[in-house]
Amino acid sequence: MNRKKGDKGFESPRPYKLTHQVVCINNINFQRKSVVGYVELTIFPTVANLNRIKLNSKQCRIYRVRVNDLEAAFIYNDPTLEVCHHESKQRNLNYFSNAYAAAVSAVDPDAGNGELCIKVPSELWKHVDELKVLKVHINFSLDQPKGGLHFVVPDMEGNMAERGAHVFSCGYQNSTRFWFPCVDSYSELCTWKLEYTVDAAMVAVSNGDLVETVYTHDMRKKTFHYMLTIPTAASNISLAIGPFEILVDPYMHEVTHFCLPQLLPLLKHTTSYLHEVFEFYEEILTCRYPYSCFKTVFIDEAYVEVAAYASMSIFSTNLLHSAMIIDETPLTRRCLAQALAQQFFGCFISRMSWSDEWVLKGISGYIYGLWMKKTFGVNEYRHWIKQELDQIVAYELKTGGVLLHPIFGGGKEKDNPASHLHFSIKHPHTLSWEYYTMFQCKAHLVMRLIENRISMEFMLQVFNKLLSLASTASSQKFQSHMWSQMLVSTSGFLKSISNVSGKDIQPLIKQWVDQSGVVKFYGSFAFNRKRNVLELEIKQDYTSPGTQKYVGPLKVTVQELDGSFNHTLQIEENSLKHDIPCHSKSRRNKKKKIPLMNGEEVDMDLSAMDADSPLLWIRIDPDMSVLRKVEFEQSDFMWQYQLRYERDVVAQEEAILALEKFPTPASRLALTDILEQEQCFYRVRMLACFCLAKIANSMVSTWTGPPAMKSLFTRMFCCKTCPNIVKTNNFMNFQSYFLQKTMPVAMALLRDVHNLCPKEVLMFILDLIKYNDNRKNKFSDNYYRAELIDALANSVTPAVSVNNEVRTLDNLNPDVRLILEEITRFLNMEKLLPSYRHTITVSCLKAIRVLQKNGHVPSDPALFKSYAEYGHFVDVRIAALEAVVDYTKVDRSYEELQWLLSMVQNDPVPYIRHKILDMLTKNPPFTKNMESPLCNEALVDQLWKLMNSGTSHDWRLRCGAVDLYFTLFGLSRPSCLPLPELGLVLNLKEKKAVLNPTIIPESVANNQEPVISSNNHGQSVGFQNTFSNSQEEEEIDMDTVHDSQAFIYHHLNMLERPSTPGKEQSSGEITMHPVSAAPLSVFSKESNSSKHSDHHHHHHHEHKKKKKKHKHKHKHKHKHDTKEKEKDPFVFSNSPASARSIRSPSLSD
Amino acid sequence: MIQSYISEIGRSAKSYCEHTARTQPTLSDIVVTLVEMGFNVETLPAYAKRSQRMVITAPPVTNQPVTPKALTAGQNKPHPPHIPGHFPEFPDPHTYIKTPTYREPVSDYQVLREKAASQRRDVERALTRFMAKTGETQSLFKDDVSTFPLIAARPFTVPYLTALLPSELEMQQMEETDSSEQDEQTDTENLPLHMSTEEAGPEKENSSVLQQSSSLAGSRNGEENVIDNPYLRPVKKPKIRRKK
Repeated sequence: MNRKKGDKGFESPRPYKLTHQVVCINNINFQRKSVVGYVELTIFPTVANLNRIKLNSKQCRIYRVRVNDLEAAFIYNDPTLEVCHHESKQRNLNYFSNAYAAAVSAVDPDAGNGELCIKVPSELWKHVDELKVLKVHINFSLDQPKGGLHFVVPDMEGNMAERGAHVFSCGYQNSTRFWFPCVDSYSELCTWKLEYTVDAAMVAVSNGDLVETVYTHDMRKKTFHYMLTIPTAASNISLAIGPFEILVDPYMHEVTHFCLPQLLPLLKHTTSYLHEVFEFYEEILTCRYPYSCFKTVFIDEAYVEVAAYASMSIFSTNLLHSAMIIDETPLTRRCLAQALAQQFFGCFISRMSWSDEWVLKGISGYIYGLWMKKTFGVNEYRHWIKQELDQIVAYELKTGGVLLHPIFGGGKEKDNPASHLHFSIKHPHTLSWEYYTMFQCKAHLVMRLIENRISMEFMLQVFNKLLSLASTASSQKFQSHMWSQMLVSTSGFLKSISNVSGKDIQPLIKQWVDQSGVVKFYGSFAFNRKRNVLELEIKQDYTSPGTQKYVGPLKVTVQELDGSFNHTLQIEENSLKHDIPCHSKSRRNKKKKIPLMNGEEVDMDLSAMDADSPLLWIRIDPDMSVLRKVEFEQSDFMWQYQLRYERDVVAQEEAILALEKFPTPASRLALTDILEQEQCFYRVRMLACFCLAKIANSMVSTWTGPPAMKSLFTRMFCCKTCPNIVKTNNFMNFQSYFLQKTMPVAMALLRDVHNLCPKEVLMFILDLIKYNDNRKNKFSDNYYRAELIDALANSVTPAVSVNNEVRTLDNLNPDVRLILEEITRFLNMEKLLPSYRHTITVSCLKAIRVLQKNGHVPSDPALFKSYAEYGHFVDVRIAALEAVVDYTKVDRSYEELQWLLSMVQNDPVPYIRHKILDMLTKNPPFTKNMESPLCNEALVDQLWKLMNSGTSHDWRLRCGAVDLYFTLFGLSRPSCLPLPELGLVLNLKEKKAVLNPTIIPESVANNQEPVISSNNHGQSVGFQNTFSNSQEEEEIDMDTVHDSQAFIYHHLNMLERPSTPGKEQSSGEITMHPVSAAPLSVFSKESNSSKHSDHHHHHHHEHKKKKKKHKHKHKHKHKHDTKEKEKDPFVFSNSPASARSIRSPSLSD
Repeated sequence: MIQSYISEIGRSAKSYCEHTARTQPTLSDIVVTLVEMGFNVETLPAYAKRSQRMVITAPPVTNQPVTPKALTAGQNKPHPPHIPGHFPEFPDPHTYIKTPTYREPVSDYQVLREKAASQRRDVERALTRFMAKTGETQSLFKDDVSTFPLIAARPFTVPYLTALLPSELEMQQMEETDSSEQDEQTDTENLPLHMSTEEAGPEKENSSVLQQSSSLAGSRNGEENVIDNPYLRPVKKPKIRRKK
């Protein structure tokens, strides 16, 4: 077999090679939201006896398949439509996750599987044996797609172009199968020809070069012909059609920007910066942009803000902004830069398998970081790295680890790599969205660690090497076996690194890539005066979930009187204490400047210091070269010195956070000084505001002078002559703009001895609002005003009585009345003069919720619900929904929960649907260990249905539903469900007081082998036990595959016209039972015993049976390749799926 | 009869007197009139001297009603020498003399700001209240709908337009604040290549922009053929033999 393609030994999981694909969409109907077209795949068989071709396709209605112009039979089977049989009463997340993972692998293109199985007509077998080319022609249509393609059709007068109707492809990871049949894998590359016939007023934007645009004969439509000659994975194919305004980039004519009607001025401004990003990447990678053109499309109702595809990127239209907007500008530029980085790594260079994803995300994130460093400066870059590091550390400690490079060896996995998670990490489609976000974050941080190790120069050389290999391969038009050079793999990447740098980074990879978890350091020190030695003690916590043990070098920086010194400690197994010799004598040199790390020499007031010690401050791992959390103890004056004099923004931020614990006048002074210092990084100053507020609150009894920051603000932003009036806005200096925005918000957090916001502060903020004058400003003040409202909300303290009945207007606190007055006016003004992105409405809604929560205003979700309706701007909707979610939690409202869940199912905007689940997960109405009236059987059923079958059109949404289910009910059977009858029966059989297997708590269920094997003799083993057993993962997966496939018989009647209907599944089921083959017959025999047996009982038996069979079969099956598995009829006949194939005339041979 | 007789006498007497170019009738005029009317004038003295003649006493003299003196403000100005004396007198001074009353304009910054702020606030409040009164509202309190009326949220058909495009007011402000930049951007509409580019973002703006856009405009004619963007190409007519 000619599998030895490419140097890196990429082995295609498919018995054929795809070389070219045509996608032709003849008709797009916006009214009906439907698409009609065909695809034609050119494939070369790589084995002689290829008789089935598996492709990916979801949602598509397939009319006809022809192979080399001969009609071909096909079946369509998608186990992910409904993961578990709905008869199942398990309601157990463990079970679901396993079944879902199995269903996804059953159609995983990387395993050579697919939803669509085409039988090669027997006439062609001879042809195939000669390994000659096959052309597979598939006619399909798509009706009201729920995922993959998103239609935006505003409901108004006019034709579709006038209404600004548009459609675009979207999805999470490889989701192209949702809109046309293909091999939806990142590793199957081919060249493309794409044709779209659209209304003459519309533009179709897609991948590759636009060759020509031709009118149809009636001149009412035109056809866009695209050619993509660079081999590209189907997953990187995209489409956007709409009445776009076209803008050719003035700097690079091969770059074209598209936006919706009326937004052209914004588009011009927004994209005017893009060429610099291009230049930057091309320069550092010393490589030209790989595609001959680039397109950016800005669309409404985006699935994600940025989506990168081959030679084009789809952005949210909400990233567009005018020159007056400050806050959005850097955010949008970041998005543009991110998208462009992914063009090189992600689109042009694709990945071999899912476990190599981290390389692509890592590299694109890393070069994006380099761009940030260059564009926004080192401070911003380091701040960002710190932020990302904190995020990943917090997430891993919370959930138990993010694994970058999961290896799924055959059966001998030592441990399930993700046993701590409630989802499988084997497939991108089973991942929780939050996990995936964190995964990307960790990937680029690890790339940075590699850079620290081998130097940036080598790093860029490696990238260059990958790119130049790929571009050589891509130019080999007719040698498709070379194309695998365009795929990156972990091993290939590591090999490149060792070739280029000559360094061994294996330990680093082992620590951060092959293993999950972060390091948690606890540090403390003592100064030994006699020996003039710093005794540093560094402890590690490596037993908590999400942590790992670190062994290796660790940098420690000690700032002494004589200068700053770096020490590299060797962290070893048992050494906790490290002695570091000090350079300076403790005797203080009088009047001498103190040298800092960066060579600067500064005067310091050393009076605060400990007279005996020469130590100013100590930092552990200052360069963030370990993924860690450091908790370090040093005294308050050391933190204060660190804040004042250390030049690294990360150190300053750490010092600020540490100072929260030291509410002393000295801390206050240090923070105030930082606040005033113009040279200081603005983000540090902003952080100092909040810390100062906290300190002031802790010191409330001893605080002297005006409220914190007030005089400072007055000095900086108010008029010289009348200090109670703020200057008219002038935001030319961005640093002070950000500070001006933040200070009131922080000030509003101040509390007096009665724990109320001081009247003086409230009046001050109200005056800021009153005197705000933006007439002479070049920039919009909408963000500033929004933050002033946030400040008002921050000043709200709980009402005396929280009783909902007495919250009437008459009882309203006069201060609150003033606040409410402002909010009302702002909110009403927004209707007349809306602000950019409706930031003010967003802040008002949040403030109203705060007033409700604190008992000033009656708690009522009606207002928020009206703002959450479809048709409001997305930011407003999210803010309103957040308030409803919060209401649901606080008031335990079943009605609102139902309202939210129905929105999850019915809202037209995928992002909103996703976001509701996300917010419910983050702010759940109850959790698994909590008694709540909301937790009932109906809710369990509803959520179960949602994740089982209701969300099959959107991977991200389904995973969101799984996350919510996990948060509400945990891994095991929800406690609110009545005990299953089956469990009782089993107990009787066993004649002992065994726990009902379905309600065994997780900890027990997660137990290892012994528990299971002891139970293994009988059929009484609980379902959950079977599935939670990590050792038998492989077999279980096979079982669940078959299990999930078992429902395919529903589709029997659809053989002629397979599609993926949502509702019809249940119809044919009962009648089909008798004709099902082997495994189901087991059921008919055994299940007679119990009258009330539920369906999961049957499954249960089935599984046991099958499991036994598989147990031995499985071992040798692994030795064969997947292809042979397909050929072997016996393997298949074990599964219920084959029952159908026997019946099916078209497949019986 | 008597009345018309008497008035006829008067009328005719006046005519006679005017006939002789006089304004005041004399006795002879009346005599002529009476003769003309056929009255025997000789009988008249006898009639006047008759014994039982009624004597009509003269009406008592009443005081001349005092015309109220017109309100005078100040002294009427005497005529200046070049105006002849027969011309009417000047009217009262108050009708033509201006009295400049200077009120110091408020120049105090604080008051001004205060005023501008409260004025704006009042306008805004009045406007929003009006809008709230005339349209649908939402309320935060169940018992009271008028104190804090919120204009009801109404969904848009195209929500992103209002959210992203600067409002007209802001556009105006923009033009006011940087009108200097405007002149270069007069003909931006037709060509995508001529751009109002903000070079490196908000930090350093004006100077470089001007340079760039002008240089672009300058080289525009030459560059036009160079730009070959497939999206700008004309759409082809369908061929008889169409590509698929």
